[in-house]
Amino acid sequence: MPRAVSRRTLLMTSDTFIQIRDIHKSYGGVHALSGVSMDIARGEVHALCGENGAGKSTLIKILSGSVTPDRGDVLVNGAAMRLGDVRASEAAGIAVIHQESVAFGHLSTFDNIYVGREPKKLGGLLLDRAAMRSQTRALLQRLGEADAFDPVRPVSELSVAQRQMVGMARALSQDCRLLVMDEPTASLSERETRVLFNLIRQFRKDGVAVLYVSHRLDEIFELSDRVTVFRDGKHVSTEPIAGMTKEKLIHCMVGRELLATDQETSFSRRVHPARPSDVPLLQLKNLTRAGVFQNVSFEVRAGEIVGMAGLVGAGRSEVARVIFGADPADAGQVFIAGEPLGGNSIDQAMRRGIAMVPEDRQHLGLVLPMSVGTNLTLPILRRLTRFGLTSSKRERQEVEKLIKALGVKAASPAVPAETLSGGNQQKLVIGKWLATRPRVLILDEPTRGVDVGAKAEVHKLIRQLAEEGMATLLISSDLPEVLAMSDRILVMRAGMISGEISREEATQEKVLSLAIPASSSPGAEVAA
Amino acid sequence: MTTGTTTSAHPQSPGIATRTSSSKSIPGLARSLLAQREWGVAVLLALTVTAVAIVNPAFLQPANLRDVLVNNAPFAIIAAGVTFVIVTAEIDISVGSLAGLLSAVMGLLTSRDYAHLNVALACLIVLAIGTFVGAINGVLVAYCRVPSIIVTLGMLTALRGATELLMAGKWIQNLPDSLRFLGTGSIAGVPVSILTAAALIIASMILATRTPLGRRIYAVGSNVHAARLAGLSPRRIKLFVFTFTGFLVGVATLVGVTKFSTIDPAIGKNWELFVVTAVVVGGASISGGKGTIIGTVLGVLLLGIVGTVLTFLKLGDRLTYWERAIQGAFILLAVLADHLGGKREK
Repeated sequence: MPRAVSRRTLLMTSDTFIQIRDIHKSYGGVHALSGVSMDIARGEVHALCGENGAGKSTLIKILSGSVTPDRGDVLVNGAAMRLGDVRASEAAGIAVIHQESVAFGHLSTFDNIYVGREPKKLGGLLLDRAAMRSQTRALLQRLGEADAFDPVRPVSELSVAQRQMVGMARALSQDCRLLVMDEPTASLSERETRVLFNLIRQFRKDGVAVLYVSHRLDEIFELSDRVTVFRDGKHVSTEPIAGMTKEKLIHCMVGRELLATDQETSFSRRVHPARPSDVPLLQLKNLTRAGVFQNVSFEVRAGEIVGMAGLVGAGRSEVARVIFGADPADAGQVFIAGEPLGGNSIDQAMRRGIAMVPEDRQHLGLVLPMSVGTNLTLPILRRLTRFGLTSSKRERQEVEKLIKALGVKAASPAVPAETLSGGNQQKLVIGKWLATRPRVLILDEPTRGVDVGAKAEVHKLIRQLAEEGMATLLISSDLPEVLAMSDRILVMRAGMISGEISREEATQEKVLSLAIPASSSPGAEVAA
Repeated sequence: MTTGTTTSAHPQSPGIATRTSSSKSIPGLARSLLAQREWGVAVLLALTVTAVAIVNPAFLQPANLRDVLVNNAPFAIIAAGVTFVIVTAEIDISVGSLAGLLSAVMGLLTSRDYAHLNVALACLIVLAIGTFVGAINGVLVAYCRVPSIIVTLGMLTALRGATELLMAGKWIQNLPDSLRFLGTGSIAGVPVSILTAAALIIASMILATRTPLGRRIYAVGSNVHAARLAGLSPRRIKLFVFTFTGFLVGVATLVGVTKFSTIDPAIGKNWELFVVTAVVVGGASISGGKGTIIGTVLGVLLLGIVGTVLTFLKLGDRLTYWERAIQGAFILLAVLADHLGGKREK
């Protein structure tokens, strides 16, 4: 723990650099931020924590000027900053290092660092390439990366960590007063993390404010002076790190009032008859996709709902994509009802009875401008086709059956899918795969962005399917949902299964502690 | 980066290739050529010239080589602009029609049969109209968010119609000599059109590699989201590339059309095909972010020489058909190469 902490916590109020005042932002009715306020002081490392969807990323986007809030102010040194203007944010000295280092893949390191603020000569006519080169070298030296890579190469040829270093160098090259870092160590090695931490401390010493967003609690405790927790788009607490414990922090992130909804749904938890004699319908043995996830093994039996929890980027959706044949595996195997799932194609997976409801339903799940009916029958056109022609009568019958079974509220099967509510759209996505009569159903974030009522209906549908014998893998970042729906919970962390919890012993704290990586532990580095 | 380092970074043996699994399927040499398309085009160009020179040494006579350059100078000028458009992940297929319209305007303004205006003034008007049309394309693409293929397709048709209205199917004759100097004259023994093309190519190269604006054009094409986060205005940059292209079409018209004593209503037809093909063959990526002026110039020369070669083969009437077929094959091959190269980069 840095000795400076106590001194810094005392200095706070007089040293405020940026004040965030009552920021509201919603996306299509979903509140990403509702009335958030916080201060960040000069020479302070301020950690920001919260579960997925707590609103951290939205706040970062507002600070960087790429998103305009619906309401609220940001005061820099007491003066209101123009919001929604990247240039204004930059002028205020705010530099953001993004989670997935945003870069111009075709351009060199030099260009990536200086695009938009190029050193110029001849009255601004020409690039001062010599200056770009020497300044870049100096920046990379400060980052301890001077010899590590060739700054002339297109950055698309650099490693992820190196690309992040380019992002750091860009921030360094600005005269930055507030450095915002979003999960900066997610893809860094131990050594690179140390370099980064030293740099951050250097920044702090120079009076720069640092907003540090991370899931790695150890890092937060090591580095930060104060910590702020967001939950569901609201500010929960801001406290000096000295008065914080890990348990307290997790507690803040999860929140007590969530227990209420948790209990509410737990009443409807169905009791699943354990049938251990069954052959697992879906079984993974040491499934590996290099650099993405490793040695993932688990099984799902008929009638079972297996929840999969973990942080964004832990590799859950990627596992699902490999099972469904959308990506190839590098090692390991998938078995369906005891038989290896041969081949590696979505077509093969569908033939063997796997259905997947993808995470991004608007882009991957539905053809929005097409009608409800057309969407529902897309995966089963082959079955409805005779002599190369689709039987419209059979199609109509199938559609009516599905709409009824799903309880989709649509004026008619002919209306475009985009006119339906979020919840009804989600039912359509599930329904279109049900039409394929699958045995294994993979649901990736099935209720993200749908309202409470629709959520309950989707849950009901999932349970009903399980009771009919469906083997279900439920991937969700919504912890109460995972807890309420699952017979067992698998937790993934940094590309590996970090634990399995039975329904009886599952609590949000247990799931979170398995999901949150210990700082720079060897396990967490595998993904790098 | 030179090809030397590229090749050593990607060893010939596919087994040692460590970058991605997909790169294993492409042999080392082809891969390094894909990485630096300019070299591939240069090699192809050299091979073509050598082959023709062996079959018919007359091809290498200075007069013939000069003709090749003079004939292709207007294409190279337009292609430089279109390179920037394609680098921003847009396209401009209205350049041929615009050249046609500007030729008609120039003829009507200067011909002794029509307005018989001062040549310098007429040239300025032509450049202004070219720039203006380019700016309209730019505004429609960047500010009205109409896809550039649609905007410039519409512009292609509209300008062609306007040209036909203006010329009423007739050829314009009796052009003043001072105008024809642009197309046929020489300064210190070098044709004006070649000098103009060389100057604009060098200016474009400087723009691409040495100026902040040039870097931003590439940045916008490489990752428009990141460009916005870097505080750039993708709209303004796109407006610029279309406007600049319109201006270059004006210049190309001045030096390209005036070498004939008459102006033919069909001038400019299919120029856009030639130009876009040359740019893509020269290594620019249709998906943006990638492309060099030198590659484009090599692409223009390669396609231009293929045309000349076909003349030497004495195909007679079938010449045009062969030229089209080969152009088509080139663009498909170039896009395919681009696609494979793109996969490798992922």
